[in-house]
Parts: sequence; structure tokens; C-alpha cells
Amino acid sequence: MSSRRRARATGISVWIIALLVALVATIQIRSEVEVTRALVGVDPTSLAFLIDDLHRANDSLDAEKTDLNQRRAGLQSGETTTIDQVLTDESNRMRAIEGQVPVQGPGVVMVIDATGLTALDLQDALNNMTAGGAEAIDVNNRRVVTGVPVAQTGGGVTVDGVIVTPPWTISAIGDANRLAEVADLMTHQLRADRRVRQVSYRVDANIVIRSVVSAKPFVYAIAS
Amino acid sequence: MQPVRHGKLAGLGLLALVALATGFVLAGQLRAQLLTPSNQLARYQALVRSVQDLEATNAEDRRQIAALRTQIAALEANAAARSAETQALQGQVADLRAHAGLVAMHGPGVEVQLRNGVAGPNAASATSYLVNFQDVQDLVNFLFGNGAEAIAVSGRRITPLSSFSGSAGQVVIDQGPPLSSPVTVDAIGDRNRMSDALADPFALPDLREREVQFQLQVTFRGVPDTAVPAYDSSLQIPHVQPA
Repeated sequence: MSSRRRARATGISVWIIALLVALVATIQIRSEVEVTRALVGVDPTSLAFLIDDLHRANDSLDAEKTDLNQRRAGLQSGETTTIDQVLTDESNRMRAIEGQVPVQGPGVVMVIDATGLTALDLQDALNNMTAGGAEAIDVNNRRVVTGVPVAQTGGGVTVDGVIVTPPWTISAIGDANRLAEVADLMTHQLRADRRVRQVSYRVDANIVIRSVVSAKPFVYAIAS
Repeated sequence: MQPVRHGKLAGLGLLALVALATGFVLAGQLRAQLLTPSNQLARYQALVRSVQDLEATNAEDRRQIAALRTQIAALEANAAARSAETQALQGQVADLRAHAGLVAMHGPGVEVQLRNGVAGPNAASATSYLVNFQDVQDLVNFLFGNGAEAIAVSGRRITPLSSFSGSAGQVVIDQGPPLSSPVTVDAIGDRNRMSDALADPFALPDLREREVQFQLQVTFRGVPDTAVPAYDSSLQIPHVQPA
């Protein structure tokens, strides 16, 4: 083989190796970029939970759309009686959402007997219930919705300015199965808390909540 | 002969360099496990794609809900013009909806911003530098307790049924997509009362502690006119009946 051919063969080998190096390097960099972009701060387990939450959220949004479409159809009918009925139903629904009327339905009743639990503990418990689908909540005959102040005072925990002395009886109306899961989890966590003397819950087919929140007029907020 | 030998040596040197570089890249590749576990990457990507698709559906659903509510309000206003009874009912419903967070509002208030801090060296506090859902929950409760009449968190309006959840660094409010730092909380209400309460060094102790430990940032300012949007998600109460 002539020296020129050998040099050519060497050159080709170098090119092939360089090409391979470039290929591997490119794949490496692209893989890293993809992984970084895809998983920045989120592990697969969290992603799976997020997917579950989003599925549930989108189901709720679908139900809301169906309800709104029905309400719109009622209003489009143009009949005064139908329109008034739609408005009356909506008014009643809004009052129930805002805690202004007594309500009933399936759910759970949880009793927490403890010393030293704070307003933050009660807020967490109430938030857990709401996140678990509670549609109406009462603590020791005080109605609670998001926005009703739960505060810590020298005399203990207050709900809307009134002290709620332990044991706390939390009644929550909603999907009883989901609420039971939440209550079960909370019970396990609370039992590990030294401040808690006793904690229990029961599922009830019909809980009646008679406490109500008084409507407060806006002083500062104006409709846009 | 001399130039040929030099050329050969240079060629061999170049080859050695390339081989060395290839070796480094391959070693790096094997260590990073990025080429071989392509299934793992594909699984991650599939999960991320699912989240992205669901978030897109979520955004579209919320857009449709907002549009439907606008149409309904217009139909109600139209019907109210025809009868005094309907007008009275429509007025009641409009007021109730405003209190439920279904109407965009504006007025004086405060704007609070929460930003992630800096990770600490201790593994036990691995996520303490991140803004979490409990921080937002505490802040919202605190503001309601100090004169807020309407609140939105990064554009998500808080309603009487709002709840907070999420994992480290992610805040999920109701049926919305996850929020992350910086989280902005806009509250309409008694601006002075809310500002004074936020300035109290003993208020929101957990956040204050992490401000010192992890440089988590809590900033606020009073504003003469702030706005909060209308709630754009579900307010269904299928299990509740009048008592």
C-alpha cells in the first residue's frame, strides 16, 4: 500500500472517529437538556400525583360546564317563571356555598380531644377537609368557610371571634368516601401527636349543620 | 522520509486525542446513564406530556367556564329588565356571587410576594427554602383575619370553598394548575390594618423563621387600588341539601 493510500486511510479513520465523538456528544447534550427541561424540580412520584389531581380537577370543571350550560339554556328559554326559578336556585346554592343557610348531607364527623393545639392546627384540619371535597363544615357549632377567620388568642383558638374549646367536633358534608379517607389519614397523623388525647371519626349518611355565617357587606371592594 | 514520519506521528497523536475524548464522553455517558435507559426518559417524557395535556385542557375548561358565566350574567341582566321580581332576584344573586368570588373586584389593599429562598446544607430541611402551599394557606387566612374582603393568589381567586394543596415548591389551589415561586397574593380590604399586621415581626412565625434560615423572601406593599379576577373554576356542591 502506498504511503498516500495509508495517509488517506488514516484520515478517513480520524473522520469516522470524530463523527462518532460528535454523535455521542450531541446525543449526550440533547439527552441532558431534555431531562433537565422535563424534570426540573419534579420527581416522577410528584408528577403522578399531579396527574391524578389534574384529572380530578378537570372532571370537576366538566361538571361545572354542564351545570352552567343547563343554567344558560334555562335563561335562554325566555320564560319569566323559568328564569326566576333559575335565579332562585342559584341564590340558594350561593347561600349554601357561603355558609349562610343550614344544610345537610352525607359526610364525616371527627372529634379531636387535645391540649395545646393551635389555630394553625385547626386551619390545617379544615383545609384537609376542604381539599378532600368538603362542601360545608362546622366546628363546635360554628360554621366555617374559607375566609372565616380562625385565630389564636390568649384564651385559645377562635372561629370568627368565638373561642372553640376542645374537644373539637368537626362536621364535614361532602363525598363520604373521600372524606373518610381524609379523616382516616388525619386520625393516624393526630394519634402520633403527643398533644392529642383522643381522636376518632365516623361516617354519617346525613349530617345536619345548622350554624350559619352572617353575610358581611363589602366596605372596600368594588365590583369591576 | 522525515516529513512522512512527522505526518504519521501527528496522525497517531490526533487519533490518540480523539480516542481519549471518545473515552471521556463514553465514560460520562455511562455514568450519567442517559443513553441506555431511554425507557426511563421516555416514561418521564410521557408523564410530563400528560401533565402538559391535562393543564391545557384545564386552562381551556376554565376559559369556557368564565365565558359561560359572562353569558349567563348578560342573560340575567336582560331578563331583569322585564320584571321587578326578576330584577330583585338578579340583584340578590349578583351580590351573593360577588361574595363567593365569582365577580372581579378592585379596591385598596396589599400585594404580598413570596419567593423561594436558598437551599440549606442540611438534608432534613431540603425543601424548607421553597414556598409551599401551607405558607400560602397561612398568609391567606392571616389576611382574611386582618380585614381582607377579596383575595387572589397569583391570579387565582379565593372562594368560600377554596383549599390549598401541593408538594414541595408547588401550590395547588382548587382545580387550578400548580403555582410556584414567586407567588403573589393580592388582597382587597383595610389596607392599613393588613399592612400593620404584616409588619408585625411576630406574625406568620414559620415564614419569618425561614426568612432568616433560608432567605425565603416575604415582601409586601400597600396599594391604593388593586384588582382580583373572578373565580374561573368549579363551585359545585352536589352533596349539600338545604336543612
